[in-house]
Amino acid sequence: MFTHIFCNRLKCLLRDKENIFWTMVFPVLLAIFFYLALSNIQQGEVFQSIKIAVVDNAEYQKAEHLKTALNEAATGKSKLFDLTHAAREEAEQLLEQDKVAAYLFVEGGRPKLAVKKSGIRQSIVKSFLDSYQQTAASVNSILKNKPRDPQQLLNSIGDRRQYVVEVSGTAAEPDSVLIYFYSLIAMACFYGGFLGMREITDIEANISPLAARINVSPVHKLKAFLSSMSASVLIHLAEMFILLLFLRYVLRVDFGSKSVYVVITTITGSLTGLSFGAFISALVKKSEGIKIAILVGGTMTGSFLSGMMYLEMKYIVSQHVPLLAYINPVNLLTDAFYSLYYYDTMSRYLLNIGILGFFIVFFCACTYFIIRRRKYASL
Amino acid sequence: MIVRVKNLVKRYGELLALDHLSFTVNDGEVFGLLGPNGSGKTTAINCILSLLEYDKGEVEIFGRPMRPDAYDIKREIGIVMQNVAVYNELTVYENIDYFCGLYVEDKKLRKRLVEEAINFVGLKDFKGYYPKKLSGGLLRRLNIACGIAHKPKLIILDEPTVAVDPQSRYKILEGILELNRLGATVIYTSHYMEEVEQICSRIMIIDKGRAIATGTKDELKAMITLGEKITVESQHITPGQLNRLRALPHVMEAEYKNKQLVIKSGKGANNLEAVLDFIKKEKIQYGKIYSELPTLNDVFLEITGKQLRD
Ligand SMILES: Nc1ncnc2c1ncn2[C@@H]1O[C@H](COP(=O)(O)OP(=O)(O)OP(=O)(O)O)[C@@H](O)[C@H]1O
Ligand SMILES: [Mg+2]
Repeated sequence: MFTHIFCNRLKCLLRDKENIFWTMVFPVLLAIFFYLALSNIQQGEVFQSIKIAVVDNAEYQKAEHLKTALNEAATGKSKLFDLTHAAREEAEQLLEQDKVAAYLFVEGGRPKLAVKKSGIRQSIVKSFLDSYQQTAASVNSILKNKPRDPQQLLNSIGDRRQYVVEVSGTAAEPDSVLIYFYSLIAMACFYGGFLGMREITDIEANISPLAARINVSPVHKLKAFLSSMSASVLIHLAEMFILLLFLRYVLRVDFGSKSVYVVITTITGSLTGLSFGAFISALVKKSEGIKIAILVGGTMTGSFLSGMMYLEMKYIVSQHVPLLAYINPVNLLTDAFYSLYYYDTMSRYLLNIGILGFFIVFFCACTYFIIRRRKYASL
Repeated sequence: MIVRVKNLVKRYGELLALDHLSFTVNDGEVFGLLGPNGSGKTTAINCILSLLEYDKGEVEIFGRPMRPDAYDIKREIGIVMQNVAVYNELTVYENIDYFCGLYVEDKKLRKRLVEEAINFVGLKDFKGYYPKKLSGGLLRRLNIACGIAHKPKLIILDEPTVAVDPQSRYKILEGILELNRLGATVIYTSHYMEEVEQICSRIMIIDKGRAIATGTKDELKAMITLGEKITVESQHITPGQLNRLRALPHVMEAEYKNKQLVIKSGKGANNLEAVLDFIKKEKIQYGKIYSELPTLNDVFLEITGKQLRD
């Protein structure tokens, strides 16, 4: 009997195009959309070294400080410049052919900048040079006036370094991007609510004639429900895996080193979504339309409070009504994802998953007690 | 005794949908539940099946009390609901197979039963169709097949022929009689008196949730005073003639409307002869004369004072 109902349910779910669209195609489309929209931001953030040339002549060789500063800025993993040493004509040619953004040369003991056009890269080179000259000037003046304040000297020199570090630091933190994808996974998990909801409506005789047919058959209602629900669980888990694989291998979203936990979290999330839908459906003894409205409303409110639409909201809630953060399943789920990424210890993650597990049991138990042996006041 | 219903009372808020309804259905019967729209037929069926909570009363099926978890009873029942209930994502064959599979686990047996059901409702050419592609009448036939494929001992059909064309309707009614001949007891609800008259061995007429008469169709017709309805098509009849006609013995009512003289006479022989004699004596010109025996509509009309179908 289990396989009979289970297989038929699978067939129904897979053939239900609307269902497949909302629970699988839509999240994938959203992922692509996020990817396209966010990859622009990311490109802006990831710093690419700027190609510049420097005229390597006698004067340049004499400017020891500049040489050191430039070499410093042109080494390391997240270096600011890609430096080419060249003769004057050569450098001119490189600039002409857009092979470099700018070239530097030393004239009368002072570094000078040659550019063809103005742009972000050119202004970065310019500000580097300004910052160097300022430092050089202060070093000179301090040296002239005897170094009374060595700390100041160090600070001024440090400026330049910081400048480089700041720029490259952004590239190493793609957090804003990941948060969107985590929210997307959480949302897709809660879309499982529609599947869970339909499972209940399909055994509630007062909602659908089909359910009446199941109710008059000799199959134990709970058995029918569980067989059918298993199909929904399988379908939704499969859909979530497809989404994860798509994110990981097609869009190349990097979930960090804890991929296994991302999978565990997704499974937990999927089960929460499914059982939440079933619970709402069993609890609300109204028409299917009203049930859907309440499910969507509930999920949206949960998403909003967890900061899915407005990131600040998450912090506002955790500051002013911390309890709300712990009873909002959507928040628990997104927070589980965040804590995977942000914290090295697992305690916060495990707390989130633990509470979610409790919710799953709670939703299932309530659903069971509500639907058990229910006769209807009106059909 | 297949079904026994005792003092069933069902309220929807203020509305009294079933008012102390009692009846029994015997083994091998085709039991008809006849009543106008909203008389409580579907409500009665749903209460019998334990789908609906009722305020009072008892329901026994196969001699055992019916309850939501009486699975052994449910196993022997086949239901065709008034509302079509099939999966849109499953084909005709798959739908019947699915519902049959809720009763019959043996795959081989089930395959045979499903094929039989498909032939029974004449959907052989539509096996692979999805319900959305079926016409209203074909959909009804699928609905019937889903309910009876497992060959139950008791078959309950709630207005199964709504929106079905006369030909298919005839086939369905014949099929129901065939199932009955093969041993099934049938409960059939309808507001079409012709259908009920045609196939039911016993009929209960209900109105506003109350049983107003129960019996075979002849018994029901015998309950009322009307014996015969004689219609005479005539161009002209004077009020005097009409009065003299009304004075005749056995004539209960005589009306002249739209060039038709309708005479309702009581039980007894020679009613038509008496009317013919009268027409000859009065030298009334006439076109056609015909006589009809009372219908269930007449029974309903006489008991409740209103037409069965309005
Ligand atoms: N869910 C409900 N809530 C309130 N009233 C209802 C409900 N279902 C039916 N009724 C009322 O109960 C009465 C009996 O309805 P029921 O559906 O049993 O009639 P029926 O004889 O099956 O009619 P039909 O021939 O139209 O199918 C009607 O007056 C109807 O309006
Ligand atoms: Mg009805």
